[in-house]
Amino acid sequence: MTSLPIPMAIELRGLTFRYPTGRVALDDVRCAIAQGERVAVVGPSGAGKSTLLMHLNGLLPMPSVATDDTVQVFIQSLGVTKGRLRDVRRQIGFLFQDPDDQLFCPTVREDVAFGPLNLGLDQAEVLVRVDQSLIAVGLPEHGPRNPSQLSTGERKRVCLAGVLACDPAMLVLDEPTSNLDPRARRQLLEILRRFPGTQIIATHDLDFALELCPRVLVLDGGKLQADGPVEQVLANPNLMERHGLEVPWRLRAV
Amino acid sequence: MADNSHLVTQIRPCDAIPATARLALTLLVIVVSSLIPLEHWPAHGLLLVVVFAGLSLAGVTLGYLARRLMLFLPMLLVFGLSVPITQLHRESAWGWMVSLWLRCTISFLAGLWLIHVLPFPELLATLLRWRCPPLLVAMLAFMYRYIFILWDELARLRQAREARNFGSGSWRRDWVTNAQMIGLLLLRAMERAERTHQAMLARGWDGSPKFLGTEARKGE
Repeated sequence: MTSLPIPMAIELRGLTFRYPTGRVALDDVRCAIAQGERVAVVGPSGAGKSTLLMHLNGLLPMPSVATDDTVQVFIQSLGVTKGRLRDVRRQIGFLFQDPDDQLFCPTVREDVAFGPLNLGLDQAEVLVRVDQSLIAVGLPEHGPRNPSQLSTGERKRVCLAGVLACDPAMLVLDEPTSNLDPRARRQLLEILRRFPGTQIIATHDLDFALELCPRVLVLDGGKLQADGPVEQVLANPNLMERHGLEVPWRLRAV
Repeated sequence: MADNSHLVTQIRPCDAIPATARLALTLLVIVVSSLIPLEHWPAHGLLLVVVFAGLSLAGVTLGYLARRLMLFLPMLLVFGLSVPITQLHRESAWGWMVSLWLRCTISFLAGLWLIHVLPFPELLATLLRWRCPPLLVAMLAFMYRYIFILWDELARLRQAREARNFGSGSWRRDWVTNAQMIGLLLLRAMERAERTHQAMLARGWDGSPKFLGTEARKGE
């Protein structure tokens, strides 16, 4: 008996993107990420990490006419095109680098409710999701507060609650540990460990990548330079140095 | 972070008034002050006393009030001076100017009273109950959120300027730097608006604002 192949969570088929200034941000990036996989995307600043993540959510301009031959990004076998953006965004929860970009409502509760309300859920269901998400990130009492009164770590967790409230199948996180103190970083790590779905994490924090992700992609100059097991790739000093990175302390030979 | 030291936490008499009545009362004061005939001094004075009494009951301190008026009054003075300049042929031009100052001051103080007695999320909920266009309410909500962020941004820019000023700046140079800072703030605000829009799209924003119901807002 032959079993049906499980569709890949994410598939990039030669993803190429050029900004209006003419700068090539991504150049023929090809890879496939399986369901439930946790993958780190590392590389120097300007490597194209954030651009890559934004493509997964259809946040950057894409060709208006697209067939399955020309589509470059597939989410759960669904080609990301303008007409399918709503379905694609239902699947993916996107955490932005700066929490102030993502927290735009006057109170935490309203911000967490923003996504579920846009999904068209009824008020009772929205409230349940808001409460569950705030509990999941360890901030059940923060609903009535103004986001500007929270610390950076708390804001990040509220952002994550807003994403989790949409019940996404996968998480896409852009620099989740930037500006976090060790305790907030640890809390975030625990929350992400509990999330069962696929996770793509762009980060400069190689120790975080090492702790959380079994697989890593190295991006530099918009090109995919390496793709493999995290301990193997990050332990390669030549590769790391060539792409403006450093071997994490844990992997350095004593 | 915004300076909230003037906010009081004890129970005040105005807290017993329903939110809708607080908003209605403020609008009433503003409308009445606009409708009082020019140079009708007793009515102006009475309304001013009412507003000051309201501010006092709301626990607004004189120091805070003075600071806010210091920001507002210079603009008002310049604005009011346009009346005698443009209406020189009228005998009552100076009286009109004072009336205009009083009307604007009363409206400003009434608005100040409202922000002290009605938390902003509650104000938005009240506007929604009054069937105010949801898009306008959403814009007010964004403004309330981002005004703090822009303020913080401005504070950081000021700090960066002070750190490299070394006390050698002439007033002309200060003005040029201030103008550059405002320009930079505008650019940063635009960039942030772009990123925020992307964050909204990522969570299913389709251009039509949706809000939590009144039940869900309880406790805020």
